[in-house]
Amino acid sequence: MKFPSPSSAEAVIAVSGLSRHFGAKAALNDVSMFVSRGSVLGLVGENGAGKTTLIKHLLGSLMAQAGSVRVFGLDPVLDPVGVLGRVGYLSERRDLPGWMRVDEFMRYTQAFYPGWDEHYADQLLEQFQLDPAQKIKTLSQGQQAKIGLLTSLAYRPELLILDEPSSGLDPVVRRDILEAIIRIVAEEGRTVLFSSHLLDEVERVADHVVMLQHGRVVLNGRTEEVRGEHILAVLAFAEPPAKAPVVAGAHAVTGFGSEWRVLFGGSHLELETAAALIGARVVEERTPTLDEILVARAGGKS
Amino acid sequence: MLWEIWGRHKVSFLWQGVALAASAFLVYWKTHGASESFGDLLGVASLCCFLGAYLHLMVCFSYMEFDARRVQLGFPGRLLLKPVSTARLVLVPMVFGGAVVVTIFALWTGLVLPHLSAINVSNLLWISTVLLSLFWWMQALEWSLPLLKVRSVVLLMVVVIHFLMLLLPGLVMTFAPVWTCQSGWLWGILYALLMSALPVAWIGLKLMRQGRWEGPSRISMLWSCLPTVRARGTRKRFGSAFRAQFWLEWQRQGWLLPGFTAAMALLVIPSAIFVGAKWTNVDAPPPEGILAVLLSGPLLLSGMMGPALAKFDLLGSTRELPVYISVRPMTNGGFVMAKLAMALASSALTLLISVAGICLCLVIAGKWTVFSKAGLVTPLGRVSYLNGCLPVLLLLVIMVWKNLMAGIGTGLTGRPWIANLGTAWRGAAGMGLIALVMAVNLYEDFRETLLHWLTGILIVCLAAKIAVSIAAFVWGMRRNAITARVISWIAGGWLVCGLFVAGYADHVCRALNRPDLWIWIALGGFLILPLADLAIAPLALAWNRHR
Repeated sequence: MKFPSPSSAEAVIAVSGLSRHFGAKAALNDVSMFVSRGSVLGLVGENGAGKTTLIKHLLGSLMAQAGSVRVFGLDPVLDPVGVLGRVGYLSERRDLPGWMRVDEFMRYTQAFYPGWDEHYADQLLEQFQLDPAQKIKTLSQGQQAKIGLLTSLAYRPELLILDEPSSGLDPVVRRDILEAIIRIVAEEGRTVLFSSHLLDEVERVADHVVMLQHGRVVLNGRTEEVRGEHILAVLAFAEPPAKAPVVAGAHAVTGFGSEWRVLFGGSHLELETAAALIGARVVEERTPTLDEILVARAGGKS
Repeated sequence: MLWEIWGRHKVSFLWQGVALAASAFLVYWKTHGASESFGDLLGVASLCCFLGAYLHLMVCFSYMEFDARRVQLGFPGRLLLKPVSTARLVLVPMVFGGAVVVTIFALWTGLVLPHLSAINVSNLLWISTVLLSLFWWMQALEWSLPLLKVRSVVLLMVVVIHFLMLLLPGLVMTFAPVWTCQSGWLWGILYALLMSALPVAWIGLKLMRQGRWEGPSRISMLWSCLPTVRARGTRKRFGSAFRAQFWLEWQRQGWLLPGFTAAMALLVIPSAIFVGAKWTNVDAPPPEGILAVLLSGPLLLSGMMGPALAKFDLLGSTRELPVYISVRPMTNGGFVMAKLAMALASSALTLLISVAGICLCLVIAGKWTVFSKAGLVTPLGRVSYLNGCLPVLLLLVIMVWKNLMAGIGTGLTGRPWIANLGTAWRGAAGMGLIALVMAVNLYEDFRETLLHWLTGILIVCLAAKIAVSIAAFVWGMRRNAITARVISWIAGGWLVCGLFVAGYADHVCRALNRPDLWIWIALGGFLILPLADLAIAPLALAWNRHR
């Protein structure tokens, strides 16, 4: 299921055996992943799965307790200038200076990036309908997300990291932001990593997906492959089982009576075999959505 | 609401108790057996306890919360949605807080204040009423003007008015005995001031509850409608990342000390006008007093502000580096340099304001004779502007800058416990130094021994300081937290300032005919000027930025 590790020259992000503990709690446990240039990676998982912690390691805000993190082949802790100059980041917390005006924040951010494209920034300002004279603290949550995104995009970073970009936003703003991401993806050579728990977004935009659960990587591969390796099926029993049937290879089994819904990890043949073993037959099957896979896996054991 | 106020501030009550007990003990010590000079010192310590504790009390009970979204203090927003009348929302914290403020002041008055010569509490009722009025007005303005840019100015005016009201009985008695007959008139003004705070708070909170304060203010809307003003407001891009960071530091913290100093000058200048214009023939304060207030003020203020200045946002609740700063491609040394430059600019501007204030006060008070072509006329003699005044001013700038950057090494770690430990350590070191000076004065043998070894001790301390700094620089270089350029700025700046102090010390020692003192002053200067703190700062920031 894992997509092939790119060579170090191709890998924009290379995380290997990364572990992080906060007290007794393991936030990340032996996480390894590679992101190649030009790909769009969706980082998914339930709340507290470790998505933001992983992103903070990529930005150098957290130091690896075990394992290694390389972005563009550099250690973000030892070389923050080398890494951060090529990365655009939109924070989940929208940690913006509320006392600044929109244009002041743009001017402040611009100073750090020689590649700042003023024309593109003005274009985005117009597209997002932001008033440059307005104080950031008076902006709505959606507008704050937009100014955050604008200042992460205007210097055309090689890698864009978005932590829950659409968290707390209405569908219209979410669409605006997704469109902006798609535009970046369309540009050659740009790499995007974004975390989200809105999996329809991930399915729409991401070509790779990494699913974290309790700090561990439980799924890692191309979006279509991940979906294709799961089957959502309905099993029918001749006699209704007294309790939920145990299906080998299933991540979740729900239902009652003689029909049970199963999210199965494996091929069609394996599902047929597993069903036959417990005296059931497959009456319906389809490819599940990422959302269904996440819910099933989050409900099961890690 | 009472339960919430009590629950939130019970620790404050405890601290009040501790401060009161400590202060009472100091006063008891002062009046029972302490020598006169030591007694004065105890009196000052007790006064500091009172001022600190009382200010803390007023801030705690003003019932304000920090709104992170609006980046300002104001009435707790969550309470506005409670099914309670606005009058009750206003009255409960005002009456309860007011009662606490007055009661605690009465306690201080009963136990401590009469024993401190600096405070005249003969008119307790007047002082309590002024304090209550100030407290209510602070609450009213903080609650009712949440989005107004001019709020700080209005608040400052209110503080100035109350400060003058506090001084008024004293001024009346000292300068114009005839005014005492009209005290009923003064009481009338004070009561009007006191009672008008309640409707202001009520109207302000009512408007806030109705959502009238939401969105941009009418002033800013009017401002944004003016195309010419907006065009003028569009500034050029920053020349470098350093300048942008310097601008941010200045916007958040740099202007504070010059601002406070200007406010202090605003307090002193009216007194100078008052005294200069009305009572030139009576016992007016000497110009040295004004000089002392305006020059020592920035030194004291910078000492108080220093520990907080290591934060990137003074109003922020956390010491952690904000994300919008930490993700910028700048070295930790670069961030530290921007902070150091901000502190230097702040110190220089502060001293300029002080000097301007002093000159203005002296001229207003009719004391312009202190300025002569040959130099400043002081009680010690004529002091040349170029060789005397300018080096002193530069020394003051360096001292204020040093005070502002005192907590940078520990504060930038982003760990409150380390920052607090650093503050405690500096306090303990200061107390230790005072104790040492007192012991030197009291015990001749000790003085002789200390003076015999002093040069050696200073050299050892300096060597240790340089060794720690070199180790920090090397470690910082290894961790990429600092560049050779930043090191050369820090070490070069320290060396230049140290040589300046040593050079000036040589000049003064020769003038005083005490060349033997030079080596101690020169070594002391190198020791006092920050180097190890600044060398550690990039590492501390790296620890904060990369957790």
